[in-house]
Amino acid sequence: MEFNIDDLPVLFPYPRIYPEQYAYMVDLKKTLDAGGHCVLEMPSGTGKTVTLLSLIVAYQQYYPEHRKLIYCSRTMSEIEKALVELKALMKFRAQRLGHEEEFRGLGLTSRKNLCLHPSVKREKSGSVVDARCRSLTAGFVKEKKEKGEDVDICVYHDNLDVLEPHNLVPNGVWTLDGLLRYGEQHKQCPYFTARRMMQFCNVIIYSYHYLLDPKISERVSKDLSKDCIVVFDEAHNIDNVCIESLSTDITEDSLRKATRGAQHLETKISEMQASDQKKLQDEYEKLVEGLRGADESRQEDAFMANPALPDDLLKEAIPGNIRRAEHFVAFLRRFIEYLKTRMKVRQVISETPPSFLAHLKEYTFIEKKPLRFCAERLTSLVRTLELTNIEDYQPLQEVATFATLVATYEKGFLLILEPYESDTAEVPNPVLHFTCLDAAIAIKPVFDRFSSVVITSGTISPLEMYPKMLGFNTVVQESYSMTLARRSFLPMIVTRGSDQASISTSFQVRNEPSVVRNYGNLLTEFARITPDGMVVFFPSYLYMESIISMWQGMGILDEVWKYKLILVETPDAQETSLALETYRTACCNGRGAVLLCVARGKVSEGIDFDHQYGRTVLCIGVPFQYTESRILKARLEFLRETYRIRENDFLSFDAMRHAAQCLGRVLRGKDDYGLMVLADRRFQKKRVQLPKWINQALLDTDTNLSTDMAVSSARRFLKSMAQPFRAKDQEGVSVWSMEDLRTHQAKMADDQIKELQAQRDLEMGNTLAAQANDARRLAERPDSDYEMDDDDEAEMMALDAN
Amino acid sequence: MAPGTASGAALPLTTDDMCPVCKTIRYLNKDMEFLINPECYHSMCSNCVNRLFNDGPNQCPYAGCNRTLRRKGFRSAFFGDLIVEREVDIRRRVAAVFNQAEDDFETLRDYNNYLQMVEDLTFDLVSGTEGKRHAAEAQLQQWEAEHKADIERNRKAGREADEQARRRLTAEREAARQRRIEAIKEAEDEKLERARSREAELDTLAQAPEGQRVQLKRRGQTSRAGGAAVSAVETAVNTAVATADVGRLSIRGLKEKRKAPMPEGPYDPFGGSDFVPSRYKISEGLAHPQIEKYRFDQQHITGGYSFDGYTARAMFEAFAGLGVFIEDEKEVGIGMSTGQVATIGAGIATVGDRMELD
Repeated sequence: MEFNIDDLPVLFPYPRIYPEQYAYMVDLKKTLDAGGHCVLEMPSGTGKTVTLLSLIVAYQQYYPEHRKLIYCSRTMSEIEKALVELKALMKFRAQRLGHEEEFRGLGLTSRKNLCLHPSVKREKSGSVVDARCRSLTAGFVKEKKEKGEDVDICVYHDNLDVLEPHNLVPNGVWTLDGLLRYGEQHKQCPYFTARRMMQFCNVIIYSYHYLLDPKISERVSKDLSKDCIVVFDEAHNIDNVCIESLSTDITEDSLRKATRGAQHLETKISEMQASDQKKLQDEYEKLVEGLRGADESRQEDAFMANPALPDDLLKEAIPGNIRRAEHFVAFLRRFIEYLKTRMKVRQVISETPPSFLAHLKEYTFIEKKPLRFCAERLTSLVRTLELTNIEDYQPLQEVATFATLVATYEKGFLLILEPYESDTAEVPNPVLHFTCLDAAIAIKPVFDRFSSVVITSGTISPLEMYPKMLGFNTVVQESYSMTLARRSFLPMIVTRGSDQASISTSFQVRNEPSVVRNYGNLLTEFARITPDGMVVFFPSYLYMESIISMWQGMGILDEVWKYKLILVETPDAQETSLALETYRTACCNGRGAVLLCVARGKVSEGIDFDHQYGRTVLCIGVPFQYTESRILKARLEFLRETYRIRENDFLSFDAMRHAAQCLGRVLRGKDDYGLMVLADRRFQKKRVQLPKWINQALLDTDTNLSTDMAVSSARRFLKSMAQPFRAKDQEGVSVWSMEDLRTHQAKMADDQIKELQAQRDLEMGNTLAAQANDARRLAERPDSDYEMDDDDEAEMMALDAN
Repeated sequence: MAPGTASGAALPLTTDDMCPVCKTIRYLNKDMEFLINPECYHSMCSNCVNRLFNDGPNQCPYAGCNRTLRRKGFRSAFFGDLIVEREVDIRRRVAAVFNQAEDDFETLRDYNNYLQMVEDLTFDLVSGTEGKRHAAEAQLQQWEAEHKADIERNRKAGREADEQARRRLTAEREAARQRRIEAIKEAEDEKLERARSREAELDTLAQAPEGQRVQLKRRGQTSRAGGAAVSAVETAVNTAVATADVGRLSIRGLKEKRKAPMPEGPYDPFGGSDFVPSRYKISEGLAHPQIEKYRFDQQHITGGYSFDGYTARAMFEAFAGLGVFIEDEKEVGIGMSTGQVATIGAGIATVGDRMELD
């Protein structure tokens, strides 16, 4: 369908539109016009992606600036899905407009997914693929080849150089699969095609990390212009992504490997000094001059980029004491040795970067400044030495990254040394966590650089938390409810078992037999009445294991077994995917299955249980984080001190966003239906923190149920859902055709006019009243001119002032 | 380090579990501790040290190492890798002498070159050949002799900076602790408050006359009066930090460039004011018959006095005072000390110096 928002013609690739989609578009356009950031929450399963894309593409094509869209999503499958949507949208546009637009849309993912090289693509691990690819495509390899040396190169990569650099692929939308196929046909590397074409396309779809992780964004996303529209989809976890991108863990093993890497470097340097002194000398001279060719530091085959953010990129020359290659390697060795010594301590240490640096300086005479240049110097050295087996230097690179970060940031980071894995462990296994506490650090350059950043997700409540944590201001901040023709999902809070004993997974009572039995009964009851699939979420793997074994002892699992197949998620990805496969088969055949999984696990995010795959989602306990973790404690303290977010507020916010994610898994569209059961006493108070669309559907009567009451109302709900439901029933209520939309627009316009009129009337009324007042005064004047005393006059003046 | 102390032979790495001298293993002696002597960096367990060196200086028990060691020199190593341990010891010595900071240099380039010079020297000391080591040692001593005052000054400055940094760190930690306590207290207060209001509600319910409806405040409406307390704490903390910061030098960055002094001109007693009249012009050879006769009259002529000076002076006196207004000066002068008046007068004078001269 085709309609206008203000002056902007929007082409929407479906014949009908949901009211919330329209509202979403209107708000989005408002944000883009105003040029600012926004946070939008739209219920899952209401076509968020297509809404976003169709509005932004329309915006792009209509206005002369042609602002580029950068669409960031979380997983590869989501990226692919968005690309397919975009492709369909562009096809629809071409049909409607009668011509193909000048348009190019590309997706980017890791080398591992896009490689075509016959041997490299068979590697399992992503980092190995990266390293091998670099060793085949680096600039010096090509030079060597030209000189006639016998070195391996990648044909797919080299073929790119033959093509026009701004026209590596024809216009159109390229899904990842499509790009692979095109690359195979034309013998060109899909990965580098996408990387190099990024500047020349209208829509880029890639993972968060390409924008948020300063190690990557420096290389990949540097050339994107300022007026790009940046969208973070599924952004409810964006703060964690930010934090992870700047945190590193160092173990004894990685230090050992780093030492070996440093030794390798040393031998390489001495070899090169013997054979090819000139190259080292060249590098040295360049460093003396403080030259750092912009092109060079951002070469696409570079070993690693500076982990500090673009703003902090140092414009200075490399300090003199690490200019020489051998000096630098000795420097690294000293630093690694120091870290090793620190790791020998057998008590937990947490310290700030300044105190770490002070200690470091006292014992090793390493100053802050050369430390800050570590990452950059290492990159330069690796390039000069023309190293090909880069994967050997990965641990060394980690150490250098750590060095740069610790010397760059004084605030917002913490070093925590944990000598034992758990409190009860006997054998030390020290880990040095360098944790970022401030999510705003990583995302700040994005907000600073791009004028419009859209943060959106199905569950991103409470909305005001995100601007606070990430340090930005919003133009629009909106949560949409779900319009439904019938009540198609039933959220319930179960606080008591059938025996009226309250149920909770709080630490004190979680292992009490009565609580476990009550949870077991709840599971059995719902397994009995739920048709097809049922998903159960636990707060942690640990608790899931213990409760399952207790259920086994109580004979509860046998009872559940009568109704459904039982499948369990494990931390192992392959086992889990097998379990999922089986679950889906079971849901399609016969009685269905119960999937027991964890609220922070892989299943809870990104896997949809639409229609028969999920009719009930049962959330056992509030999925709080493990609060004894020192990293979490440090972060909580930081949040309190810096952003004035209290510990409990944050913990409960975090738990509820995960709970909401779990609940959202089951409802993936308007013709879907499902039960959402929150089984914990503590949910009662946290109800307001649920997303608006869930909270609205949660009736007051359903917030404090016992198991038997919940079961009876669930029965009633399922019975009503079993009634035939025609698509026509939704028309005009939860789905708008063109006419409905026009009526709505007319109504909106009317409302606006009325509002304006009312405003004008108000103003008019004021002026009229004032005029009347004047007139009265004038009329009164002749006879009362002299009698008027001061009080009256003052009153008059007050009136006039009004 | 005295020249030639460290033996050129590769230093052995310590195995952490066996003493290379007495071959005791950790299994037999759980709290075995390894000590080294910075003379030769050969490690041995503390028992061996006691056994060998209790009766005064003795030779190092390592084969081929005939250095004489004293018990006093033994200490435990900070680093596991003794090569690094030795390097750091050397660095300690070098850093004590070469302790210039970035603000001692005018350009970054100079500073970097200095850093590299130091690093080269250290490298020679650590792993150079015999000859290089001697040269480096000599250079070190020479530098020490030449820059004695600088070194002392920088050492002092460095110590002060360290002291300040430490003070700041402790102040910050203290502030954080304060805030933490405050936050806990706040949470407790809130809990207490909630309990109290609940109690009060129950009381109102209990005491209300029968059959009368009681309007209760809804939960969450009790206003939070924590804001004021929080800000008070914050200011306290801030002042604490600020006091810790007092006297903190910001000595980062390069030294300011010394500017070459401007070439000095000839001394000008009038401070740049010229005495060319602006309202009139004295033309050359101005003559008046009445005074012309005195030009060559011996009685009127004195040494060092030009006859034209008379006309110039006559003109000056005629025009003097034009453009100066007594009222203005009077006005300015009311209620001021003489000093102030003088400065203001000077100001006026500079503004209107041309007029005055006229």
